[in-house]
Amino acid sequence: MSTPILEIRDLHVQVEDKEILKGVDLVVPAGEVHAIMGRNGSGKSTLSNAITGRDGYEVTEGDILLEGKSILELEADERAAAGLFMAFQYPIEIPGVATMTFLKSAMNAQRKARGEDELTTPEFMKAVQGAAKDLSIDKDMLKRALNVGFSGGEKKRAEVLQMALLEPRMCILDETDSGLDIDALQVVSEGVNRLRAPNRSMLVITHYQRLLNHIVPDRVHVFSDGRIVESGDKELALELEAKGYAAYDPVAA
Amino acid sequence: MTDQKPILTGAEKALLAQLEQAGQSAGAHEFAIAGLPTRRVESYHYSDLRSLLTQVPLLAVAADVAPGTESPAPYLSDAVCLDMVNGRVSIPGNMPAGLVVKEISGSVLSERDDALVRLNRGLAGQAVHIQFEGDVGWTVLVSRHLSGDACHVVDGVDVIVAPGASGTLVEMFDSSDAAHLGNHATRVRLGEGARFTHVIIDLCARAVRHFHSLEYDLGTNASMRNLIVNSGASLSRVQMFGRFSGSRAHGDFTGLNLVDEGQHCDITFDLGHAVPDTTSRELFKSVARNRARAVFQGKIVVDPVAQKTDAKMMAQGLMLSEGAQILTKPELEIFADDVQCGHGCTCGELDSDTLFYLMSRGIPRAEAESMLIRAFLQELFDPLENDELVGRLEAIVANWLENGSASAGAGKAD
Repeated sequence: MSTPILEIRDLHVQVEDKEILKGVDLVVPAGEVHAIMGRNGSGKSTLSNAITGRDGYEVTEGDILLEGKSILELEADERAAAGLFMAFQYPIEIPGVATMTFLKSAMNAQRKARGEDELTTPEFMKAVQGAAKDLSIDKDMLKRALNVGFSGGEKKRAEVLQMALLEPRMCILDETDSGLDIDALQVVSEGVNRLRAPNRSMLVITHYQRLLNHIVPDRVHVFSDGRIVESGDKELALELEAKGYAAYDPVAA
Repeated sequence: MTDQKPILTGAEKALLAQLEQAGQSAGAHEFAIAGLPTRRVESYHYSDLRSLLTQVPLLAVAADVAPGTESPAPYLSDAVCLDMVNGRVSIPGNMPAGLVVKEISGSVLSERDDALVRLNRGLAGQAVHIQFEGDVGWTVLVSRHLSGDACHVVDGVDVIVAPGASGTLVEMFDSSDAAHLGNHATRVRLGEGARFTHVIIDLCARAVRHFHSLEYDLGTNASMRNLIVNSGASLSRVQMFGRFSGSRAHGDFTGLNLVDEGQHCDITFDLGHAVPDTTSRELFKSVARNRARAVFQGKIVVDPVAQKTDAKMMAQGLMLSEGAQILTKPELEIFADDVQCGHGCTCGELDSDTLFYLMSRGIPRAEAESMLIRAFLQELFDPLENDELVGRLEAIVANWLENGSASAGAGKAD
């Protein structure tokens, strides 16, 4: 069997001295889309922050492997260059940084880190225009400062645009459906589905089943109290929708 | 009864001797009593010159330096360039139509209860007078060089923008690597409907102590924008005294302290809305790295007759290192009742969420920090219409970011 894109082994993570993740094991093989579902506070966001390398998320035990190599010692930018991408639940607005400047800096920084040549301006423009068209992102939006004044739907489309341009091996979608109406959900999901590929995997984090009608997962994992407590195929998501998370709550002592 | 006469510091004694030698006996007498301002003088609250100014070099002798020999390639290609070397003006013979430039003597500043102004008035030698006429919109670049061995330079620029005329003045300060003391002045008077842009950039050597007093008078319907950039001298204070004396005038007053290890840079601002129906916007930013101190004091006074005044002042600071200090003091004194005046102030580190967002896209920490610092400063430069000048300002920031530890905050951004 080939090396999985993402492998998480017995991951324990502390935030401000409190243990949030209590031994997560997860394998996402190449080309698969896995969903993680769980109620608020179950540790889903901690998992995505720990994978992407945010300061303040301390791994006390276990390992995270990207294509077979541990990324724990890498800074966030190095993890990105290694092929990791997270679509943020709340993309950050950055006044004074033009969207195009940002996209070019990010693409070229990753290419530089991988020892590849930087993009020429025509190559860059062509790539952006192609990807923007697929996501119905107009030129005006690209002219604005990064995410500034974007609607909820525009922000999520901009995240998927970045994902398309950066061509990651592993995509994490953190509550991508939050703040989206049905039409926007459709556009964003189509954008994500277009990026499904045999050498690319995805981890979709959500607490609603509806996103999974659009981005159909290969596997569904239920998260509770910092662990994966059950795994199954896409039918598990429907079961959860019907029964709720209560059955998975930790038993009160 | 205690003796009120203070013990003068070495620097004060040297200044006193220079005033006496210049025949300013009244000024010298006053200075002997008051000395240099301490923090007890409200407008010098964070810049105690008595302790900060430790040594005063000899007054520059203007004839020592041949004028006009030091100018390299023009800093701004479309500008009319004037050089002042150690206070000595050199004026090219062929001034374009619409621009009158001549040498004048003495201080350009009005009398005022302020130590630096008094010293400028007492010791000023030469000044240059620049008059903008018509709406050609000339850009004049005055490069003030402090040259050779350490010296005390006291000089001035006097500007008149004629009614309906427009113009831009860029003042650049640079120096040899010596402990010069500059006491510079610029006075600007805007006639009815005049439009004026004023950019002041200190790029002196660290050893220099740089003082600059600015005086603005805005006539009816006049409008102006200024930008002060302090980044060179170890000790700098740029103080602005502005006055609206005609209705419907507007001023945008902006500034930047871009400071690093060992620097103390102060922008102090005193603006009087003296007539009805005038507007002003003030935006001051500080970026401090390592053990540096940036000071901003802004005071807006609205006279009882100045109804419909609309003034908003904003000060924003970015601290890149633990030892950095940003000290801000806004003051509003409002004596009219139908006005809109406000002030705001923010100060902090680079936002860790924003930094993480950029890094999560593959941008290394140092580059992400630089992007955010440049973004923070962009709104000071964007309104300037001269693209070449904006390019120069961006280059100053880029140079500042590259030299020295651009990622001094690395590892402790949280």
